[in-house]
Amino acid sequence: MPPKSKPKEKIEEIQETLRDIKTREGIIGYILRSPNSASIDLKDPTKIIDHAILSATALEAGQNIANTFEIGKVDAIILEGRDMKILSMIIGDNRLSIFMEKNVDHDKLCEDLNLR
Amino acid sequence: MSKNAYADVLKNALTEIKKICPDVSCSFIFRRDGMVVAGDSETAEETIEKTMRSFQSIAEKEDMIGGLKALIIDGEKGKIHISCVNNMYLALAASKNADATFLQAIMHVIVPTVLKLLESTAPTPLQFAPSKQLIVDTLSGLFVGDSVQIDLEVLKQWSELLNRKSVGEIEIETFSGKTTKCSAREINDPKLKGKGIIRIPERICKVLEVKKGEVVRVKPTEI
Repeated sequence: MPPKSKPKEKIEEIQETLRDIKTREGIIGYILRSPNSASIDLKDPTKIIDHAILSATALEAGQNIANTFEIGKVDAIILEGRDMKILSMIIGDNRLSIFMEKNVDHDKLCEDLNLR
Repeated sequence: MSKNAYADVLKNALTEIKKICPDVSCSFIFRRDGMVVAGDSETAEETIEKTMRSFQSIAEKEDMIGGLKALIIDGEKGKIHISCVNNMYLALAASKNADATFLQAIMHVIVPTVLKLLESTAPTPLQFAPSKQLIVDTLSGLFVGDSVQIDLEVLKQWSELLNRKSVGEIEIETFSGKTTKCSAREINDPKLKGKGIIRIPERICKVLEVKKGEVVRVKPTEI
């Protein structure tokens, strides 16, 4: 069994996977926020603030709803719109949101991030 | 078909769905404006209220994704699906191992079919009184009377939605569950307009056991 990744290694792993994910068709970009920094890679940089606000709202509201229904730790929050969707996750101290076109398979992204 | 009969049919449908699929622990239908249309017989009102409040915080920002179609929360011990169904939202809480195909069938086939059937038996679209959450401000003095004061915009919005000439009577509900009906008129102090407040005479505040600054749910009374 491989040794468990340290938090720093884990985040580097995620960043590497994200760089690969970003090149795929239908991926609009991502925001990865850790306690002291943030990595943002979006196709349209003029929308960074809008994306960041929506990502934070989805994570907070998703967490609140999960607490209301007592479903334990949140693995993933998926927000589907008519034009696009967002996959948000809390990984340790990091908050990740991947923005994509609605036809992208978000389950595959979770698998690639080793979260399922 | 009356609004109550409509809600009862939906409530029965949701309760039956829960019976045939024990993995579904909770289900309810609500409107975008925060009005609960129906819920299964066991879901607590507080659960519905909290869920809707969180959901609405996302819905307010839906323009960015071209309108909100669904919210799925995958948790360690269960999952929550909130999906847009016929201009309303269906919320389903299910266990982690619930059959995904069956959940999809409930959300995209069974409930929409029940709603379609109900709409075909109701000759006109059913209008539900949209409730608003407003902050309490107290009205005191000798001549305050028994009327509460609300923004004219809110009263106009209600009368337009309900196809009424005007809305003169409202129902106030506190978060502890106390309710009262009273007449309503426009806020007369220009400084307090557009601030999302409801000015309630002190006497009514005592009946409702609410204080200045607390939030209450307000909706027009049904005719």
